[in-house]
Amino acid sequence: MQDEREKWARTRIIIIGTFFGLLFLAVTGQAFKLQILQHEDMLKKADRQHQRIVQLTPVRGTIMDRNGNKLAVSLEMDSCFAEPRSIQDIEGTAAVLAPFLATTPKELVKKLNSSKNFVWLERRLTPERAAPIKNLKLRGIGFAPEPKRYYPNMEVAAHVIGFTGLDPAGLEGIELKYDSTIIGNTGYMVTERDALGRNIALKNSVVKNSSPGKNLVLTLDMTIQHIVERELAKAVTESQAKGGMALVMESDTGKILALANYPTFNPNSFAQHTHAQLRNKTVADSFEPGSTFKIFVIAAALEEKLVNPSEVFNCENGVYKIADRIIHDDHPHPRLSVSEIIKYSSNIGSAKIGFKLGEERLSRYLRNFGFGERTGIDLPGEAQGSLKKRWYGIDLATTSFGQGVSLSTVQLASAVSSIANGGLLMKPYLVERILDDTGQEVQKIEPQVLRRVISAETAQKVTRMMETVTGEGGTGTKAAVEGFRVAGKTGTAQKVDPLTRSYSPSKRVGSFVGFVPANKPKLTIAVIIDEPQGVKYGGVVAAPAFHGIALNSLAYLKIMPSGDLIKAPKVTELKANNTSPGEAAVIEAMAEGDALDALSPGDVAMPDFRGMSMRRVLQVMEKRKINIKLIGSGRAMEQHPSPGQAIRGTGEVWVKFAPSA
Amino acid sequence: MIDRRLLTNIDWMLACLVLAICLLGILNIYSATTSYKIIGSPFYIKQIYWMTFGIGIALVLCTIDYHLLEDFSFWMYGFILVLLVAVLIFGRRSMGATRWLNLGLFNVQPSELMKLVIIITFARFFNNYHSAGGMSVKDVLPPLGILAVPVILIMKQPDLGTATLVALIAISMMFYVGLRWSTVVSFVLVTIPMFWVGWTYFLHPYQKNRVLDFINPERSRLGSGYHIIQSKIAVGSGGLAGKGFIKGTQTQLRFLPEQHTDFAFSVFAEEWGFVGCLVLIVIYLSLVLWGLNIARRCNDRFGSLLAMGVTAMLFWHIVINMGMVIGMFPVVGVPMPFFSYGGTSMITSMVGIGILQNISMRRFMF
Repeated sequence: MQDEREKWARTRIIIIGTFFGLLFLAVTGQAFKLQILQHEDMLKKADRQHQRIVQLTPVRGTIMDRNGNKLAVSLEMDSCFAEPRSIQDIEGTAAVLAPFLATTPKELVKKLNSSKNFVWLERRLTPERAAPIKNLKLRGIGFAPEPKRYYPNMEVAAHVIGFTGLDPAGLEGIELKYDSTIIGNTGYMVTERDALGRNIALKNSVVKNSSPGKNLVLTLDMTIQHIVERELAKAVTESQAKGGMALVMESDTGKILALANYPTFNPNSFAQHTHAQLRNKTVADSFEPGSTFKIFVIAAALEEKLVNPSEVFNCENGVYKIADRIIHDDHPHPRLSVSEIIKYSSNIGSAKIGFKLGEERLSRYLRNFGFGERTGIDLPGEAQGSLKKRWYGIDLATTSFGQGVSLSTVQLASAVSSIANGGLLMKPYLVERILDDTGQEVQKIEPQVLRRVISAETAQKVTRMMETVTGEGGTGTKAAVEGFRVAGKTGTAQKVDPLTRSYSPSKRVGSFVGFVPANKPKLTIAVIIDEPQGVKYGGVVAAPAFHGIALNSLAYLKIMPSGDLIKAPKVTELKANNTSPGEAAVIEAMAEGDALDALSPGDVAMPDFRGMSMRRVLQVMEKRKINIKLIGSGRAMEQHPSPGQAIRGTGEVWVKFAPSA
Repeated sequence: MIDRRLLTNIDWMLACLVLAICLLGILNIYSATTSYKIIGSPFYIKQIYWMTFGIGIALVLCTIDYHLLEDFSFWMYGFILVLLVAVLIFGRRSMGATRWLNLGLFNVQPSELMKLVIIITFARFFNNYHSAGGMSVKDVLPPLGILAVPVILIMKQPDLGTATLVALIAISMMFYVGLRWSTVVSFVLVTIPMFWVGWTYFLHPYQKNRVLDFINPERSRLGSGYHIIQSKIAVGSGGLAGKGFIKGTQTQLRFLPEQHTDFAFSVFAEEWGFVGCLVLIVIYLSLVLWGLNIARRCNDRFGSLLAMGVTAMLFWHIVINMGMVIGMFPVVGVPMPFFSYGGTSMITSMVGIGILQNISMRRFMF
């Protein structure tokens, strides 16, 4: 009996033990479910609880010109934030902090009393301003690194570079077009917080995933850009115009060396400018070209061998009736050769050539020159321009002298470049190289030929005609550059009044487009002056700016009248006694120069350039193989080193020019 | 009184298992409280004091033959009942419940003592009980009466957790004594309506909330459901290998509630992961099974009942706490024996271990 009961008791212990074991197993199973099966989910929940993620501004890459001058940079700034829940003494903190920030203690108290866990107090403080605040070591006040975009050259090339908004996105220009390239990876600041929302270990905040963007090297040349902006401003101001546009392009490659609008703006404070000022009209606006368009009509006719340069057209003494309309020439001539039609800019002659071409052929050539379609320049908001699809009656005639069509400055410049470079339409572009943040080249953008428009021979013929424009008696003599052959064409177009949709009686667009040196074209330059007052001819308002840009750019680029560059400058000896003042003496010395070359290179003396024209100076430079920096325009006024001094070892050699009285 | 033979029979297995848990517990409390601002001794130091004190009491208990308990059992039962009544009249309120009695020198929690006393009382009661084929419904009524009085008094405090534990310990012992199938069935049939009555008339709103929160923790994310959600997140985010010692984010950033006391196991689970959990669970299971083994090999009925009671007490604490921490049971405020911070729990559990050791040591004597 006793044994029986003991046996049962033991059985029950085993049952109880099994039951206990099963419950343990159930607990283990639940732990397995939570820790292994639902681990990811639970970890995410945990992270969401204890991590606070603050998105940081990505660091944008640098934009520089082709010589490495920085046009847009990102400065490391510190943004100050507060963790209101970590602050015990709000009033006290505000009182201490307020003098360091652009705010009042009262405002600060309001911010710190926020129910949020995180508030920005002031963003993008300079390191100098942030340092003293950091030194205060206030509880609940922290800093996050945030870059600020800065444009060190202020207004220069503002329309090309564009700008960014307060958030890091590019809003205009290269900044917008290349936004995804320049912009870095958005970083995150991860801070830990406890159950009460207080930040733990502010110092240990980690910035994750932040990497700087790529850097851009533009085709732009800051010096030429400076020249263009100065000359354009002068032209607009002198003609009391509404504004102006100018562009310098490498004729052979389509590289844009300078692109300017006037008035310009300061991208560091773009918000203070009007929309009209921010607009890059050179690319985004189209206008009626007027007479500059004639060169393309004549190029087409020459290419089609319908005319030859010396063929004479009856220019009707300036009045020509087509259907119900009368066409006028500003400078009436009875008869003009094709070349003279360009030189004197005859509407009647041009219309007659247009008729010879006919609608189909003219239209085809104009499209080939790139009109009516975007050039594909790497800037946002490019205008397409317009070229009529269907032409009625007089359209053929008016189109032939640039009425009833519209184009942008970039289209005009690249079409003219195709004449300059022997017939190839190049795609204009601004970004030459893309570098990673260590400066390694990631991508190089090569010049791109879009198509051949005309033969080299035709291009040559048109060039010769365009040279007559700047020659004696031409409409663009003010564009001439002493010592250089300059090809160009003037244009004066009536503006369409957007209200009446008819030509305005007084508003004009004066333009000059061309290239230098005509014998070996390097630079295509277009200058457009919008609504000049007084004399409105392109040859008067725009040609001088072309002259200024061409003269200074050629000097800066050390392009010789022959079209060759001054290469491998080698300083050779010049006899000290040969440096008597006056141009004649120098020229004389130059004549002897070849003989002097044989002498051993010792102390080379600086010639006296004072009073010389830039062309003379260039000639001396070429002859003497001296590398001199040319500053300004006009006649040489100052120089370094002074005449007769040794060139070697004196640092930079320069000559300053100023317009002669 | 101490016999040399007793020393040779010391149950080292039992001692080692308990010591292992205590040390893991201290380590864990150290981690759980590093983020605390503490005035005076840190919690882990205090826990070391409590452990030492508890081991001392257990050692003293070993020297007294457990058979003496039999003689005093009903006296003890009566004394604790008086204290429980006294708590309801003079008790110190803390956190919405009156559980503590100030005895001048220190505070005692009579409900905690009742866990031990009910074991001794039941062992004494069933020692002289003989019935073939298990207890009938009639047989069950007197022990249920003995159980009901303290349980109702404890629920009045209100302390649902302790009341449940006292009842579970007693019922486990009754099962060990033996129940007829008819008894079990009637018990179930009576209990269900009793639960309903208890829910409607006796449970406090906070207790109802805890049960409801357990059923659906999302019910009050920031209310009492917060405990369950936070604990599950802490445990779950630990993963297989854990986040490392003092590296549990939920613990260190104090998302976890009562992390050094009732939720100490969550801290451990977060920082040591499933592997750590397994180790701890295996040690606890070994302890429980070893307790059952002591009950099995004990030669006298009183000792075997006592050992079963103590083992049941440890088991229910462990399982209810773990279950609560990982979201299987409602939050009832039951500490993990030897592992959670707290003097009362440590002393009660150590007294239990003292009794087990006492029985194990004397297994060959008779």
